[in-house]
Amino acid sequence: MIEVSNLQKEFLNGQESTQVLKGVNLNIEEGEFIAIMGPSGSGKSTLLQLLGGLDVPTKGEIEIDHTPIHAMKEKERTVFRRKNMGFVFQNYQLLPNLTVEENIAFPLHADGKLTKENIEWIHELTRSVGLEGLNDKRVNLLSGGQQQRVAIARALANHPTVLLADEPTGNLDRARAEEILVLLSTFHRKNKQTIVMVTHDIFAAGFADRIILFKDGIIDQVISREDSDYAKYLANFMA
Amino acid sequence: MLSIWRISWRNMTQNKKRLFFTLLAMVLGTAFVTSMLIADKTTDDVFDYYEQMYVANADYWVLSDDYTFPEDLISPILNEPIVSNSLLALDKQAFFELADDRSLSQRAVRITGVSDQSSPLLTLPVIEGKLDNEGLIVPEPVAELLGKGVGDTIQFTGMGEAKISAIVEYTQLLASPSNWERAESTSFRVLAPLSLLREWTGKQDKISYMRFQVEGDGTELFNTFQQNFQGTSTYIEPVVADDLQSNDIGGLYTFFYLIAGLSIFISGFIVFNMIYTSVIERKKEFAIMKSLGYTQSSVSKLVLIEMTLLAFIGTAIGVPLGIWLGDLFMKALLGVFEFDMVYTMNWEMPSLIGVLIGLLFPIVFSLFPIYYAGKTSILLTMKMADRTTSTSKRHYVKAFFGVVLLLLGTIDHPVSYAAIIAGAILLFPYLLKGLSALMKPVFVTFYKYPGTLASRNVTRQLNRNGNTAAILAIGIAVILLLSAVVESAPRGIDNDIRSTYGGNMRVKSEAPWLAEDMEKILSYSGVTNVEPLAEATPITWETIEGQMRQFSVLAVRENGPSLYTHGQEKDIMNRLRQNPSVLLGERAFAEWGGTIGESIVLNTPNGKKSFEVIGVGKTSHYAGYVAFMDALVMNDVFGWANSFDLLLSVDKEPYDTIRDQLWTDFSSHLSKVETVEDEIQSTTSAISGMNELLFVMLVLVVGLASIGTANTLLMNTLERVSELGTMRALGFTKRQVRNMILAEGLLIGLTGILGGLATGILLIYLTSKSQLMDGFLSFQLPYSDMLLAIVAGVFLSLVAAWISSKSASKMDIQTLLKEG
Ligand SMILES: Nc1ncnc2c1ncn2[C@@H]1O[C@H](COP(=O)(O)OP(=O)(O)O)[C@@H](O)[C@H]1O
Ligand SMILES: [Mg+2]
Repeated sequence: MIEVSNLQKEFLNGQESTQVLKGVNLNIEEGEFIAIMGPSGSGKSTLLQLLGGLDVPTKGEIEIDHTPIHAMKEKERTVFRRKNMGFVFQNYQLLPNLTVEENIAFPLHADGKLTKENIEWIHELTRSVGLEGLNDKRVNLLSGGQQQRVAIARALANHPTVLLADEPTGNLDRARAEEILVLLSTFHRKNKQTIVMVTHDIFAAGFADRIILFKDGIIDQVISREDSDYAKYLANFMA
Repeated sequence: MLSIWRISWRNMTQNKKRLFFTLLAMVLGTAFVTSMLIADKTTDDVFDYYEQMYVANADYWVLSDDYTFPEDLISPILNEPIVSNSLLALDKQAFFELADDRSLSQRAVRITGVSDQSSPLLTLPVIEGKLDNEGLIVPEPVAELLGKGVGDTIQFTGMGEAKISAIVEYTQLLASPSNWERAESTSFRVLAPLSLLREWTGKQDKISYMRFQVEGDGTELFNTFQQNFQGTSTYIEPVVADDLQSNDIGGLYTFFYLIAGLSIFISGFIVFNMIYTSVIERKKEFAIMKSLGYTQSSVSKLVLIEMTLLAFIGTAIGVPLGIWLGDLFMKALLGVFEFDMVYTMNWEMPSLIGVLIGLLFPIVFSLFPIYYAGKTSILLTMKMADRTTSTSKRHYVKAFFGVVLLLLGTIDHPVSYAAIIAGAILLFPYLLKGLSALMKPVFVTFYKYPGTLASRNVTRQLNRNGNTAAILAIGIAVILLLSAVVESAPRGIDNDIRSTYGGNMRVKSEAPWLAEDMEKILSYSGVTNVEPLAEATPITWETIEGQMRQFSVLAVRENGPSLYTHGQEKDIMNRLRQNPSVLLGERAFAEWGGTIGESIVLNTPNGKKSFEVIGVGKTSHYAGYVAFMDALVMNDVFGWANSFDLLLSVDKEPYDTIRDQLWTDFSSHLSKVETVEDEIQSTTSAISGMNELLFVMLVLVVGLASIGTANTLLMNTLERVSELGTMRALGFTKRQVRNMILAEGLLIGLTGILGGLATGILLIYLTSKSQLMDGFLSFQLPYSDMLLAIVAGVFLSLVAAWISSKSASKMDIQTLLKEG
């Protein structure tokens, strides 16, 4: 599904250059739920942005569904993104003067394809994230938890191949965070939705099939649910 | 202290594009005002210079109501010990003898013979040659037209020939046409030695006038000779520097100052918008500063210092630019006149005023934001509720006031113009809202979803965007009003001239017209009426404030040609015939400064005489700088008998045949043949030049307003970078983002243009209906300016939008997302 090989990213800031990703290799299967953990500044968000085609790598390859996105032109990437990618951000990134429904429908609008079935699908999404009745409410009047549900619904509006979430629960309290995680894992289970989630929170990571530990621009360790020490590892972490 | 300046500098330069636009607006505003001040003062100087040249050192002159008079009449004056200098002059009409085929009217030239070409009573700006009292002195355009230089010979038909000894720059005494077309109705002027002219003409002891200078106070001498000359054909007048008869430039500057004021207002608004937004953006920073112990005034001071820094930079660039613009403007303005005038820029004082204005206006316009910055509440700001939601109740109040002001604007009063503009500003947010709803379908067709978003986005910062559109609109509206005035002026002038010219042709002679001359002219085919016209000139008088002035007095008769219009014409004619009274033209009345019923004192050929001013008439003669008197009163009381002018009525328009006939029949004394068309042509040509100048002004004002649009859009864009980032992340292409911002700019621009057109039309309509303005303007729309406003407005708004859309789409997505 997602094949990443020798992925490198270097940022140039004037004279200075920072090597943020130093050769990442990663394969993600269709329908997998991946959590990426690691210290702050280790390059998790950068990796996610590259996976989502928001930026291009300095070196290395990314194939999504056998499509090499690292070689795409800006415009192609944008079109690819709106057809295949869903994003959830820590600070929700909703469009404040649009309603709940308009926010969710945005990726379809961008594509200029808001058909009748699509509208039905948007309504269904709204219901499934538990926001029915709030369709026409302006999003800046919602609570944080509600806003993140809108973001999740929006990320799914275009039936994305992959849902990328960067610390989706970072701004929420434990109860609200759990609701969001339940929501994500529901979509994961029911729709076989592939999810890559960056998180600081081991509790959140616990919802994933695999946990990738990131350190200093490379993958340090990978722990699968199937691994014998997965439970032990989690327990260690929790303690 | 040093560090606070450095902090200010850093704050300012944080947002380079915004800084650039704000500075640009300040620079242009300052430059405009400076250039207008310079142009005004320089023009004053130019006219002063020519007036002084005309007056030279002369204090008095002796003239005659006959064309010439015997030289011995003035010998008593020359014998007076206090007379230190004198200059005798004789005018004679003649014709150039030319190789090429030119008509008599084109060849007509007035030769003035002077007793001393290098007299201190004569100022001649020599370009080439010498004032040797032997040869001719010709103005440069004449020399050029004739293709002659110093040393070449000029022949005069039937008189003689002489060499050119000097070529001089423009001076009123030698004002000549500079092309053959204009020569048709204006004669050339040259100077010759008096002795030579007398030789040619045989007028051995005759002169036309004598100018002289006195040492010390000449009042007594003046009074004596005013007495002595009573009952003779000669009379004495002081030499007065007053060129209001020949130029009417004062009104022009009202126009340009209006435009300069407008540009300061627009720049000021841009400054306000920028500093206000910047203060709001930094509210948190100010709150933190205050919580760390900064006082309200020290926070205000920080912003004030920023503004002062900006004002200094703006002035440092704006004033020099203004000096340059002023020079450019003077060239354009004086190019409108017929003569090649020279000018020296008067820039010192205007620049100083420009500096003051340049430093002060940005600060004045940012006083509120500066105060607001100091007021920042620590607690409220740290919690920071969303500020953009203003209550709908306040909206209604605003709309209500806007409508009330617009309605008040329909009252016929000068202040109503301000009311309309203020009302329009208040209503603009609603116009913007309405228009964005109205335009949505169009935008959606062109831009798809970005169009929908754009029409919604402009209503988010409704006040800011509305104000931006309003500024563009006011610029357009005011210029449209000015254009309407300028465009309808020629029609009005055409009308005025035709209705007060007194016929279709005016014929001037050096000798008084005789009855048989008039009969002969009446027999020409096409001539239906011939009327004599007596014009006494120059006649000096005093304004209420005691300033010496001079103008012409024209004689009017019952059933004679109508030279002015007045509400009660019959009544006025009757009253003019009773006690000695005059009717003043509008400009003469204004310059005089008295009220109807008061008396004006004139230095008449019969001495100092008082005349009751019984009314003000509209007239095209000397653009209203003139007085009218009954012909009999003029003869008996005033002391002017002869008519050197004839007014002809011509029923078809064989002007040229009549002109040629006149020149052939009366070549010995005819001096000028002018048609009503010539007069209209020469008066309106200056105005059409003005119209072109206004075209340029319109584009400049729209351009300045568009800087405001660019600034506003830039602020709108910067405020939502994270939103734009989200849109890009969710699949909006760069082009979609750009289209959205372009559509927003277009909406603001369109609102400004449409609102401006509407406001402009309203202003024009109210002006045309105004009793106060009394038919000053007919309701006629300046279509070409409107079209230009639309084209320039749309184009420049798009450019403005394009600049900010470019900077939005250039940022990469991660930066955009992070900025949130
Ligand atoms: N656009 C950029 N330009 C320069 N440096 C960047 C940019 N984006 C991220 N970085 C740097 O890359 C490193 C990794 O950032 P990030 O991927 O956001 O880490 P994480 O999400 O793991 O906290 C940080 O040191 C950050 O400063
Ligand atoms: Mg991160």
